[in-house]
Amino acid sequence: MIGGIPHTLATQGWWIVSRSSGLVAFVLVTISVFLGLTMAGKPVRQPGFTRTMKALHEQTAIAALVAIGVHGFAILADPWLKPGVAGVTVPFALASHRFSVGLGIIAAYLALLLGLSFYFRRRIGTRLWRQAHRATLAVYVLGLLHALGAGSDTGSPLFLLWVLGSGVPIACLFVYRLGAARRSDERHRRSPRRGRSLPDTA
Amino acid sequence: MHTPRPRAVVLGSLSLFAVLFVVLALELSASASTSAGKTQAAAKARPAPAETAEPEEPATEYLEPEVEYVEPEAGYVEPEAGYVEPEPEYVEPEYEEVPPVVTSSS
Repeated sequence: MIGGIPHTLATQGWWIVSRSSGLVAFVLVTISVFLGLTMAGKPVRQPGFTRTMKALHEQTAIAALVAIGVHGFAILADPWLKPGVAGVTVPFALASHRFSVGLGIIAAYLALLLGLSFYFRRRIGTRLWRQAHRATLAVYVLGLLHALGAGSDTGSPLFLLWVLGSGVPIACLFVYRLGAARRSDERHRRSPRRGRSLPDTA
Repeated sequence: MHTPRPRAVVLGSLSLFAVLFVVLALELSASASTSAGKTQAAAKARPAPAETAEPEEPATEYLEPEVEYVEPEAGYVEPEAGYVEPEPEYVEPEYEEVPPVVTSSS
């Protein structure tokens, strides 16, 4: 078995890199979204806690972007699939798993756009940025659909355990956040003089 | 609570990547080492792209089935004509000419 590894790496190396980086990217996106939603719910109102969560949220998001980049490059370099630049960069251009791969490419662009918008939030306007940042959940959902449709490891029990273990809390946190945002809007509508505090966190 | 350094996330991500890479490489290598695994790896793990890959010639060539049909021997024998036209046996009855009997009544 060990003797066959060099041959496996020579023939399937890029495929293994793309699978590994895709899984790492999905795990990091999941953690980042989970941390963002947790911060927005403000379960603990300690400055240190918020700062730690914010730093982890930002770092996992950047690491996820890097992993997504590696994932795309490995697929591009795969000599078996030969997707071409258009197949990796243009949604629904690749014939193989057209729909699922298209969703993954859209998720990657959305992640890049929303992730990097954090550094331009003052130019964009914090309120607008914050509203747009809520769409980050779409990155997670699209990434999940991409993995389920085009992934080679979706039948793995560990992957399914991760999806179930993370998906349910994320869904609950998102619903809670929507409710909290609605309550906050109503509160500010009743007392418009108080203004609205807009923290930088999502 | 101190602010975490990015190094922890980077190291964690790289470690996860390395573990996944090794596990997947070992899994593929192990499945390729067995004949059953080769088939499985080819068919399941790396399914062919739907439209990009050109269809390959099937491994087994199509052989024209050998003709087993044998012309059946003609078992039908024309029946000998056993029917014989019956000779007409009807014989015209001979009539005896009998002179009419004349009776004188007066």
